[in-house]
Amino acid sequence: MSEDQHITAQTPPRSVADQLPAPQRRFSLDGTIKLALETGRTRLLVTALVFAAAFLVVGARLVEISLFQDALEPRLAQRTIGGGLETGRADIVDRNGVILATTMPAASLYANPRQIDDPQAVARRLARILPEIAPEALAARLGLDRSFVWLKRKISPRQQYEVNRLGIPGLYFQRERERVYPHGALTSHVVGYTNVDNQGLAGMEQAYDELLRSGIAPLQLSLDLSIQHILSEELAAAMAEFRAIGATGLVLDADSGEVVAMSSLPSFAPENVGSASADARFNRASLGIYEMGSVFKIFTTAMALEEGVVGLEDGYDVSKPIRVARFTINDYKPKKRWLSIPEIFIYSSNIGTVHMAMEAGTSAQQSFLAGLGLTGTPRYELPEIGQPLKPSPWREINTMTISYGHGLAVSPIQLASAVAAVVNGGQLKPVTLLKRTEGQPVEGHRVMSPETSRKMSWLMRLVVRHGTGRKADATGYMVGGKTGTADKLRGRGYARNARIASFVAAFPMDRPRYVIFAMVDEPKGTKETHGYATGGWVAAPVVRRVVERIAPLLGVRPRPPDEEEGAEALLIPVNFKGTMFAAQ
Amino acid sequence: MKKLAACTWLCAIAVAAFALFQIKHEVKRLEEALTREHRAVVANQEAIHVLKAEWSYLNRPGRIAELAERHLALQPITVEQIVRFDALPLRVAPVPESEGDNAPLDPELEAILASMRKRQ
Repeated sequence: MSEDQHITAQTPPRSVADQLPAPQRRFSLDGTIKLALETGRTRLLVTALVFAAAFLVVGARLVEISLFQDALEPRLAQRTIGGGLETGRADIVDRNGVILATTMPAASLYANPRQIDDPQAVARRLARILPEIAPEALAARLGLDRSFVWLKRKISPRQQYEVNRLGIPGLYFQRERERVYPHGALTSHVVGYTNVDNQGLAGMEQAYDELLRSGIAPLQLSLDLSIQHILSEELAAAMAEFRAIGATGLVLDADSGEVVAMSSLPSFAPENVGSASADARFNRASLGIYEMGSVFKIFTTAMALEEGVVGLEDGYDVSKPIRVARFTINDYKPKKRWLSIPEIFIYSSNIGTVHMAMEAGTSAQQSFLAGLGLTGTPRYELPEIGQPLKPSPWREINTMTISYGHGLAVSPIQLASAVAAVVNGGQLKPVTLLKRTEGQPVEGHRVMSPETSRKMSWLMRLVVRHGTGRKADATGYMVGGKTGTADKLRGRGYARNARIASFVAAFPMDRPRYVIFAMVDEPKGTKETHGYATGGWVAAPVVRRVVERIAPLLGVRPRPPDEEEGAEALLIPVNFKGTMFAAQ
Repeated sequence: MKKLAACTWLCAIAVAAFALFQIKHEVKRLEEALTREHRAVVANQEAIHVLKAEWSYLNRPGRIAELAERHLALQPITVEQIVRFDALPLRVAPVPESEGDNAPLDPELEAILASMRKRQ
């Protein structure tokens, strides 16, 4: 208002009112002029306020953007650097970080047939670069009345270059991701494979499909690639030597339950699953179930000792075969005399083992085997898991045959994990294919006393030292184990000439750290083995060579022979060939 | 006085406008640099990724074994070659100079050498 007055006062005199004194001047401004002035002023004021508000908003927004949203830029800067490369599917690595599966960029070739004038000529020229597709098929696809056809998914960089060099209009590339397995067939049964759209279809690729697709951090397996290689190589050598149809092997950490190596032969190339046979894709170590034969005597003997039905000084007369109903149970190499329990185990006597099982009883056997996880389906990461085949009903005759490994079929992974429980102090540890944190003890559940476990360890050592497993004795590493030879089921009976030769071992036996299992499927005897194709001749040497090669890698120190003997002599009294040779 | 104020304001506006212009261009330049760097980082990460896969492929145990067999005069270590530290014989006392190379060796050392010769 005061400003107004000021303006009014400054207005030069123009009318009658100008000559009048001040009060009259004010009065004279009443009327239309004042009204017009007031209106104009109000409008100006409103406009100014609106503009001021607008500028204030702009200013506030400016301040907000420049000061309070600064988080945007660091995010932009760190996005690619901090998190690692986004590939759409995380890597799979072994326990030492070696890449077993990774995702790589790849180009896929497609065409727009509407832009192609001469499909025949284009097909002819393309066929030279893509020899795996027939020119006729290419021409048919290029002749379609569509605007998009795939010609070949995931071509090599070289092929991409060649196609580009042709300079044919209407051919395009789509950037895609391709799963690559640098170690191919060596780890294919564990790692698995994916389809063309990178979805896991088998192995760990399937088991951890979601995790692999959502994350960047690699999935670390418990496998050790070098040990996997050694195991596969030795199994392949045995397979070739004995003209076998397959082989499988496992190396298991007895304390943590980690699978350090898992091999199933024949194997397949994961990039080329389509052309692999069903037999090659079959994971014998996990999906295959087999009657394991004498290897099961480990469990029968452990059960008899644990139940207290026999002691190490006891024994049985094994001179007569056992006749039950229409069956006759005999020994492979009969010893016509009384054998002590260690001798029964060392010589792998069926008759003696059956006596032990019968004395313990069917229900004791059932619960003991169930405790070792041999009658239930094992639970671990792989989707390919074999379900054990057990007798139903479980009669007395089944108890007898199962005591020496016939009539109950289990997968090698189950067997190895049960043997680990027998030798590691009596605790069944959950098997895993994922790396565990080092130094962290793994919770297990007790299946037998440490005392029984210790006795079993030394009985297994004696098998290798004096019994059927002598060919597995890797000097200095105190290998202990048990042979197994089982006839394969053919139809309703057993095949005489098709068998499974296996050997399960642990080392070093004074404190077992690793369990090794080797199995050869349908080996044929050779001149060197005098026609034998038993576990002791076929699988035991594999175990010896594997132990000799992997022990230095696993950090197991060899001992000079004298020290080995000294440690052994401390152990169990053994009635061997009528004399006590390892008195306490 | 009013003219001076207006002048000052005008100058201030001009300076502010110029500074704003400068900063805007600087930011744009930096952003372009950042984008370039990002592309380079991603390209390098991809290259590293591919190289890692290739490294893993070239380190196939079978291939390494074959290369070692072909190019190295080394063999897998055997148990006899591993000796515990405290199992080593004591150091041989210095031999008097006059006897030179013909001096008889410590019998323990002699035995070790003999066994080594035998193995060869």
